[in-house]
Amino acid sequence: MAAMKFYCDAERCIECNGCVTACKNENEVPWGVNRRRVVTINDGEPGERSLSVACMHCSDAPCAAVCPVDCFYTTDDGIVLHDKDICIGCGYCFYACPFGAPQFPKDGAFASRGKMDKCTFCAGGPLADNSSEEFRKYGSNRFAEGKLPACAEMCATKALIAGDADMVSDIYRKRIVNRAQAALGKAQQLRQRNMGSAGDMKGKVTN
Amino acid sequence: MQITRNLPNRRKSYFQWMLFALMLVLVLPVIPYIYADNSESSPAVISVPNPGSDLWREVRQRDYPISSSTQISGINSNVLIDSEGQKWREYRIEKLIPYGAYILGAMLGVFLVYFLIRGRIPIKGGRSGIQIPRFTQFARWVHWITAISFMILAFTGLVLMYGKYVLIPLLGPEGIHIPANLSKLLHDFSAPVFIVGLVFTIFTFMRESLINFKVDTMWFLRAGGYLGGKHPSAEKVNAGQKLWYWSLVFGGIAIVASGLVMYFPNIIQDRLLILDAHIIHTIASIFLISFMIVHIYLASFGVEGALECMTSGYCDANWAKEHHDLWYEEMQKEGKVGTRFEDQQKSEVFGQSQAADS
Repeated sequence: MAAMKFYCDAERCIECNGCVTACKNENEVPWGVNRRRVVTINDGEPGERSLSVACMHCSDAPCAAVCPVDCFYTTDDGIVLHDKDICIGCGYCFYACPFGAPQFPKDGAFASRGKMDKCTFCAGGPLADNSSEEFRKYGSNRFAEGKLPACAEMCATKALIAGDADMVSDIYRKRIVNRAQAALGKAQQLRQRNMGSAGDMKGKVTN
Repeated sequence: MQITRNLPNRRKSYFQWMLFALMLVLVLPVIPYIYADNSESSPAVISVPNPGSDLWREVRQRDYPISSSTQISGINSNVLIDSEGQKWREYRIEKLIPYGAYILGAMLGVFLVYFLIRGRIPIKGGRSGIQIPRFTQFARWVHWITAISFMILAFTGLVLMYGKYVLIPLLGPEGIHIPANLSKLLHDFSAPVFIVGLVFTIFTFMRESLINFKVDTMWFLRAGGYLGGKHPSAEKVNAGQKLWYWSLVFGGIAIVASGLVMYFPNIIQDRLLILDAHIIHTIASIFLISFMIVHIYLASFGVEGALECMTSGYCDANWAKEHHDLWYEEMQKEGKVGTRFEDQQKSEVFGQSQAADS
């Protein structure tokens, strides 16, 4: 069984918010709803990193566990989707989700919540694939056309990768190996240069 | 039980024990299934590890505060990961929902068994035909507005809490939408009515619910006479009703306060506060609903002559003598036995006390 996952490479993400824009444009989400966001840690300081966050399509999804009407379901591809015709907008999923993925348009009396909206992995919803009603409620269904989510395909630095968990892991593993190799090579270069500058070949490392 | 009342005493008690045994035989075998059903509920989890799990574990387990920012506006949108909700999820699913069901089920079961064994408690002396004014029209309005809004809130709240386990098997996965959505709407709209009703209830019934230590302790020691024995003496309201009043005061305030925290999701956005409020709301609600079952049972079909106090405002003299003897003596002293509210209103015009009010 496949399991679709996102992975954001913190070494590559440059906080361009291209994924956020791609998502909003692709799915035409309501005003005030952001299915994807980029969070920057230690902005402007050494060690600054950015991560793009959206629904993680959890295997044991907390949103589905606490939903009082059981409107969530996991597809055969491991994508967590929900049925907006069943959702009552209670907000429990928002409180259970550690990633802040569920979003609510402001709606109705007492400024209460509308129906929940979240990342669908660009796989639409329970309605007929690529129907206009599906697009209105859940956004684009690229998945039915064999395409990956717009955010990941749009990512300029290929920091955000999406797809089958095993393939995503493979890509990331290769990157780690290459990075380690590059770091080793750089260290070797540095060492040679420093030894060279010492001049007497005593092997003393200075820097 | 109407038939058995005419039977000789010994046969009656045999019959009661047989009924009790029958209840046990029917209920006991069900208990393992309730437990078995709970343990099976976890769905088949796909065991593919998330490629980002190591990264997220590191982000979450930072033991120093990090500064994080985002360009996206929204509730807590600059927080990368917050696993506080996990504790709430576990507490709700493993504690609140099953134990709430056990408490409410036990409460219903106890009163069903009590009704089967004891039956309706009659007015022993029969109806005298003499009436005593008990609750003014104002008090009755306050009571019923609070009561109806409370029952709507309780029922719709239970739909939101247990609909997943009760209504989905009955109505199917799509069928729950209508009752659940209606429940959320009704819950939102009944809440302000209940708040107003609760405030009026607190002030209207406060004077008669003040604790009289000696009388009330005695009432509790004899369990109100409900388990047999002589009926202990009671004032205008008995100690059990006083307990219900004070539960309603403190439980009601807890429910209203925690409910208001959850009422404005776009104004109050503190996640921890809302999660705590949700837990307080649930515990206080389960407590008050189980007390409501007691109150409804004893004040309607459990005790003959009790319901009319809140519908007509008058009670029968013999009923008052049996259940609220101290109050009856007081009313006798004041000469209010057999009078109407209209007579008292006349006397109030002439500057007399408002003793009969509330």
